[in-house]
Amino acid sequence: MWNVFLLQWKRLLKKPFLVFLFIGLTILFVYFMGGVQVNSTLTVPVYSESLTEGELDDWLGRLNEGETLIFEKTSAETAQEDIRMNEISFAMMIEEDNYQFLVGRDSQQIAAVDQHAEQIFREYNRLDAIQDEFPGTDIEVQEILSVQVENEGTGGGGLESYKLALLVGMTLYFSAYSVLFLQLNLIEEKRKGTWNRLIYSPVTKIQLYLGYLLHYFLVGSIQIIVSVFILTKLLQVDLGTNYYSLGIVIVSFIFATVSLGILLAALIPSPQSLQIVIPIVATSMAMLGGAFWTLEIVSNRFLLFIAELIPIKHGMDGMITAITQPEPLREILQPAGILVLMGILFMAIGINLMERVVKI
Amino acid sequence: MLEVKNLKKTFKKTVAVEDVDLYIEEGESVGLLGPNGAGKSTTISMISTLLPPTKGTIKYKGKDVLKNPDELRPILGVVPQDIAIYGELSAYANMKFFGKIYGLSGSQLEKKIQEILELVGLSDRQKDVVDTYSGGMKRRINIAVALMHNPEFLIMDEPTVGIDPQSRNYILNMVKRLNGEKGITILYTSHYMEEVEKLCDRVYIMDHGRIIASGTKEELKNILSNEETIVIEVAERKQAFTDLLVSQKGINQVAEEENNYQLIVSKGDQLLGEIFEQARQTNVKIKSIHIQTPTLEDVFLHLTGRKLRD
Ligand SMILES: Nc1ncnc2c1ncn2[C@@H]1O[C@H](COP(=O)(O)OP(=O)(O)O)[C@@H](O)[C@H]1O
Ligand SMILES: [Mg+2]
Repeated sequence: MWNVFLLQWKRLLKKPFLVFLFIGLTILFVYFMGGVQVNSTLTVPVYSESLTEGELDDWLGRLNEGETLIFEKTSAETAQEDIRMNEISFAMMIEEDNYQFLVGRDSQQIAAVDQHAEQIFREYNRLDAIQDEFPGTDIEVQEILSVQVENEGTGGGGLESYKLALLVGMTLYFSAYSVLFLQLNLIEEKRKGTWNRLIYSPVTKIQLYLGYLLHYFLVGSIQIIVSVFILTKLLQVDLGTNYYSLGIVIVSFIFATVSLGILLAALIPSPQSLQIVIPIVATSMAMLGGAFWTLEIVSNRFLLFIAELIPIKHGMDGMITAITQPEPLREILQPAGILVLMGILFMAIGINLMERVVKI
Repeated sequence: MLEVKNLKKTFKKTVAVEDVDLYIEEGESVGLLGPNGAGKSTTISMISTLLPPTKGTIKYKGKDVLKNPDELRPILGVVPQDIAIYGELSAYANMKFFGKIYGLSGSQLEKKIQEILELVGLSDRQKDVVDTYSGGMKRRINIAVALMHNPEFLIMDEPTVGIDPQSRNYILNMVKRLNGEKGITILYTSHYMEEVEKLCDRVYIMDHGRIIASGTKEELKNILSNEETIVIEVAERKQAFTDLLVSQKGINQVAEEENNYQLIVSKGDQLLGEIFEQARQTNVKIKSIHIQTPTLEDVFLHLTGRKLRD
């Protein structure tokens, strides 16, 4: 088994480009698709046409209590000019007790800014009303503090969770892609007849399959780990500390993917056709499974049902849970369990079908 | 040593092999001769335990191979008809891997690799990637890896297909040495009659999934003891001439190829006069004519009315 396993590494090292390419693509896609800047803070130009300089500064002070968003004073003319020149995608205009966005390009980030600003304004207006009724109280300070804590969790969270979903989704998509492509070499061995030579040898069939599967398994896992590691560093996403849970999900996902590859290979024994089918399968799975956009925007019952059948969906659920929850172990058991079951099912059917065909 | 009885294989509806009986004694070199699609590879795959037969038994030293494939496999070497080698690795790396999975290691493995590389004549190119090899060299490494574990019984499936005459000769001499000097039992499959005639003691002739004749070369040629072969070389073949030949009494088979007619005629009939007359009638110019002692090719022609390489 180890000889077979090591041989696959030797062969991979002769042609390692595919895996590097897919890791590269993962990083490139996440980086550009999110429109996410390397520094994860976002600067929002703010101006006012009705407030005094001092009043605007007060608002800036309140708005800037959070950490991921930076509100910066500008003038109406500059903001409009910058938007026209496409240098910024939007700016914020503050009036008394109210605010508006001047939008050039639609941006994912507006939602996060809006959420943050709305909370500050609502809270301020409420306190303002209280203060009007009970002048001279000092509730103000405490309340503002508590508001601040709250909005940091949600306002920044919108952007964070979007980034995280993108990161995890793309990572899983490209790893699945790599693993499925790598599995073409199993088909190739069967077609060329080297597989038969292995059958004649004292290596048992179980050892033979294990040697291969373990190789795919490791390549896939390493790709996920490398991608996640690089991306979380690059995008400053917090990976949390639940590495065991994360590991369990990754391993289950790769198992399901490798098994899916075996099933595909068994159903479509021609390498040429497989080369066409793999991208189609991987990409449609990623779409339906929510790797390209979040499933929250999908309302079609049927599509949501389909998503449940797709490994990427459970892989994403599990990984996001493992990264964001403080005690995720119990929660990830469901997605991981589903993945393992899928894996066993695909593998059993796949190997059975495959064993029926003998190259003579 | 090996005994095959009543072997049959059907793929869905096609019958690939049927009623095949054959045996091989230790140290023998046995040929399995037949045109493409005759069922040679299918038969070999069943013997080598890869493909379960639809019907029939295969016994090795009295033991059922189908029930205990592990009795046969360790002493069996198989050279498949397609090149089954890791093309992106060197010849050396391939041999090392196949040696290792048979449990060889260290200096013993190294010695074996060099010994076999020497035998197949690839020593100086051993570190080169197999994908860069010529057709003949690929055929040789394909044989080499099958020898890594010192097989006692070597099955070779058309090991010389599609290569130049020089490489082919090299391989044929090598096989002869493996059988003669090392005493390896050989089952050699081919659709080249000359190869089987050169290498094999006994021959099975196969066509359309069945064994149509078997025996030593002499026995097979004796099938033709009452017949002989006449080869006529003409300037240009004509259908009218062919028709006359076919209808001529005493001519049993007529095969055409390029500028040749090959006739199988009953011995003793004086047919040359008639043939010249027919050529004159149809305006065919005969360039040469000669009478041959029969070859296995003629035996096949006699039995099937076709040439081996149609
Ligand atoms: N997997 C298969 N499915 C269907 N028919 C097959 C299969 N393998 C071989 N055959 C058929 O069996 C016959 C014998 O093939 P084969 O044993 O390869 O002949 P040979 O090796 O003598 O050229 C051919 O007619 C071939 O088309
Ligand atoms: Mg064949």
